Amino acid sequence: MNEKELVKKAQSGDFEAFSRLIEKYKNKIYNLGFKLSGNRHDAEDILQETFLKAVDNIDKFRGESSFGTWLYAIAVNAVNALHQSKKKAELKPIEDFLPGGHGSGDGAKELFEWGDPHELLEQKELNRVIDDTLAEMSDKYSVPFILRYYEDLSVKEVADSMNLSVAATKSRILRARLALRERLSEVFKEKANERV
Amino acid sequence: MSECKKHIQSIADYIDGELGPELCSEIEEHLKGCKNCRLMVDTLRQTVILCKDGEREELPESISSKLNEAIKRRWEKKFGKA
Repeated sequence: MNEKELVKKAQSGDFEAFSRLIEKYKNKIYNLGFKLSGNRHDAEDILQETFLKAVDNIDKFRGESSFGTWLYAIAVNAVNALHQSKKKAELKPIEDFLPGGHGSGDGAKELFEWGDPHELLEQKELNRVIDDTLAEMSDKYSVPFILRYYEDLSVKEVADSMNLSVAATKSRILRARLALRERLSEVFKEKANERV
Repeated sequence: MSECKKHIQSIADYIDGELGPELCSEIEEHLKGCKNCRLMVDTLRQTVILCKDGEREELPESISSKLNEAIKRRWEKKFGKA
């Protein structure tokens, strides 16, 4: 049975069909919550809130987007509600990430060459740097980045989940990517200098 | 520098293979003569690879069971017996 059929059955009250949809998406939604909050407790809250809202509103789902995109949109709202009071970092404009750009910290210097990142940092440490950087930046950047590259959604699907234009979505994903690149570069540079 | 600024907006599309051929050649032409932009492309590409290589947090069984129970209760409230 394909996803559309499962949704149709779930909408008519078939719990078995809905359970199969839960199985497909629960790990993905939990991961999204964990990446954004950095802790299991908040990830659990986001997961539960998302699926309970999905039960409440399953009959309102019209199939204009895929079920997954609809579910991610609910999860994004759950994240926003949870993080409303948490101040997270705004990111600088795209041009400022260029070397010599205002606030890039690179002056007119050349960018640092990474070589093989795994020679400088173990995967576990790398994961920690990436997770911390994502958890610290404003959700408006980390959410689209995670949906795009961890969950493999298309830019259009991310835009639909977040109720944004494709152009705005692309810009936010790029800013998150540039911020992660910059942070990783700083860490690799520090590690390389320690070895000299 | 102004050339770099001009291309930075399209760089993610270029790396992800989603750029039209005309803009693609324009960027490639620029990359030939700009080491910083070459490094930018290379490290931005690696950034996503490193993210994808990272572990995914496994959903603990206890949380999964709690979720299933909560959903079942909500389902029964809405539709009657699950």
